[in-house]
Amino acid sequence: MVALGVIACYAAIGLWVLGTDAAKRLGERTGWWSVPASPLLDALTVERADEVVGAPEIPGFGIRPRPEERVRIAQSYLDEFRKRVNIRVRNRAEADQRAADAIAGIRFAEATPPNWPIAEFRERIKAALDDLDAIAEVGEVDRHPELLPRIEKVERDIASMLVAPAGVRGMLYHARLALGTDRQGRSILVRAVYSIKVAIQIGLVVALVAVLFGSVLGAAAAFFGGWVDLAVVWLYSTLSSLPDLVLLGVLVFMFTGSIFDDVTKPWLSLVPIYAAMCLTFWIGPCRVVRGEVMKIKELEYIQAARAIGFGRAYILIRHALPNTLHLMFINFSLLFIAAIKNEVVLSFLGLGVKVGPSWGRMIQESTPQVINGFYWQIGAATVFMFFLVLAFNIVSDALQDAFDPKHVS
Amino acid sequence: MWSFIARRLLASIPVYLGIILIVMAALRVSDPVNAYLGKNATKEQIELKRHAMGLDRPFAAQYVEFLGRIVTLDFGTQTRRYESWKYEGQNVGKKLAEAIGPSLSITLPELCLTTLVSITIGMLSAYYRGRWIDRWLMFLVVLGMSVSVLVFIVLGQKFGSSWLKSALGIGWFAASGYEPWLAWSKEPLWGVLPYPTRFALGTWAHYCLLPVLIYVVVAIGYDTRFYRAVMVEETTRDYITTAIAKGASKPKIMFAHMLKNALIPIITRVMITLPFLIAGSILLEYQFRIPGMGKLIIDAIKDRDFPIIQTFTAVFAGVFILSNILTDVLYALVDPRVRLS
Repeated sequence: MVALGVIACYAAIGLWVLGTDAAKRLGERTGWWSVPASPLLDALTVERADEVVGAPEIPGFGIRPRPEERVRIAQSYLDEFRKRVNIRVRNRAEADQRAADAIAGIRFAEATPPNWPIAEFRERIKAALDDLDAIAEVGEVDRHPELLPRIEKVERDIASMLVAPAGVRGMLYHARLALGTDRQGRSILVRAVYSIKVAIQIGLVVALVAVLFGSVLGAAAAFFGGWVDLAVVWLYSTLSSLPDLVLLGVLVFMFTGSIFDDVTKPWLSLVPIYAAMCLTFWIGPCRVVRGEVMKIKELEYIQAARAIGFGRAYILIRHALPNTLHLMFINFSLLFIAAIKNEVVLSFLGLGVKVGPSWGRMIQESTPQVINGFYWQIGAATVFMFFLVLAFNIVSDALQDAFDPKHVS
Repeated sequence: MWSFIARRLLASIPVYLGIILIVMAALRVSDPVNAYLGKNATKEQIELKRHAMGLDRPFAAQYVEFLGRIVTLDFGTQTRRYESWKYEGQNVGKKLAEAIGPSLSITLPELCLTTLVSITIGMLSAYYRGRWIDRWLMFLVVLGMSVSVLVFIVLGQKFGSSWLKSALGIGWFAASGYEPWLAWSKEPLWGVLPYPTRFALGTWAHYCLLPVLIYVVVAIGYDTRFYRAVMVEETTRDYITTAIAKGASKPKIMFAHMLKNALIPIITRVMITLPFLIAGSILLEYQFRIPGMGKLIIDAIKDRDFPIIQTFTAVFAGVFILSNILTDVLYALVDPRVRLS
């Protein structure tokens, strides 16, 4: 029950992301409507997932990192400001104007700079940078606890220059920093949640298509026998004589250079993954259903249907296939996990999802971070994936026990 | 026995022809030369490359030619070149020969260790069925299965090499890389038997032991559940009751009676895990920068190195089919009831 609840939660989040994403895209494409820029409605779109919300590699849950890291984070915020203040134009007034515009353009998600005159910004940025330099001069910041108040002062300065809005938008801003930021300063939480949609989308499409395709082929092979059976068996034994990962790689390669290899079109760029996985995963259900239909077709009710004079295709679809539904369910849940896991592996190898976030890409991006001791990104991806896969593992075990008790798993 | 093997080999020929056909067709769906050279290449460059690879000939001719290469194991010689695109001047055959050693030096230990460890755990679990140790083991196993393989690999790499070194000062494991640890003599003994001239187990452990251990941890999760189920089923058989009635000790029943009879599902399982083994090794080789076949083929797919992809998939398929035949032969050896006909 708990597992089903977890799956329902994931499905709800996935559908929500998919829905808002699709509504927005469709609205833009057709111009029929525009999704209002309300903070909640577009909290989980691709744009939000790719948006910079803070300095790179901030830890989550508001945990204070080591002093050295805090200096680095403060430095990266201040650099962002300094870049915009230092404008090399002779004319002082023009320089001020352009700097003010640039500063006003700073956005860390919802947090924006306050409406100060440019001179104050210059002064504060310079003071904070000087402070940081002084701290850095001491060296080995971790070993000098007496520096802490000075670091805190710089952090307070930065906080005053980056004001989060009040209300729902402010809460959203803090929520986005809840699990920290990745290497580019993007919100790990938003990316991990958005990846649910990617995973569920791939899992659903692949499992559905593969199970349907595989069962129909398997049932047809068993039912008609003869050359149909030979052809199907040859096809699946052929395809299964390559390890999944190699076959997936080759099938993904099949699409390089085609219109599906276009990183500017996130919807099309998933097609190679769908195709590769569907072509690989239909074998499992096909085998199982073929075996089952072999047994079923000798049963009395099929013979009775034949005696009545129904056509063979009708008997197959109306009588034989529905009796393999339990196997289809089991295989669906098995393939769903397999698809999600393989998507993650493919993305990790750089062959899968190329646009937008996915757990595989997050894990891949976190490899150098792990070596430096930053575990938030890999942790988030793992935990989010863990609960989904665990829930599906439990459900598919339960399905197996209920429908196919003889099977030794 | 031999006629059985011969028949199985003959029966797998159409399957092998089929997989080569499918792979070759799939690789040519979008033009591999275009994919490799990119949009900025001139017409002449593309034509040259296409001609050098023989891609301008009809598909049937290419198919026959490639089959010929496989049958004669000719992936390039000094005079008749069959070069990789990315590594210019290197024959595909040379790359292949270089990659087999590293691959085997992690896959074989993986296979042996995993089987040993997971059978032991499965038997322990079946022995203590229903008690807390069994429950905890199975709980851990399901947990482990739900965490991505990648996490084990990435964290295992971190903690096994750099953390172990910095925190405990144990520098046994390299974070990545590979060095040949086994060298064979140029001139075989008595003309047939090659013998190793270098056998550096320490070097092997330095580079390969950590990936092998990580693989074992990952694979235990999948295998143990199965072995436990097999063993549990075996405990309900009549011959076990007989053995208990005769007064045989429990360890004796476990090892002498049950293990022998459970060998058939175990062999099936070991062979079923082969694709998993290869896939797992691909990831491990990739992450640990071990220049085996897995890393090479992933790199080739990324670099669009067509000759390498084509050859390596063919080799993978061949190994796979042969290992399936080996399974059937092993069945017959283990279980006299299996008739080889």
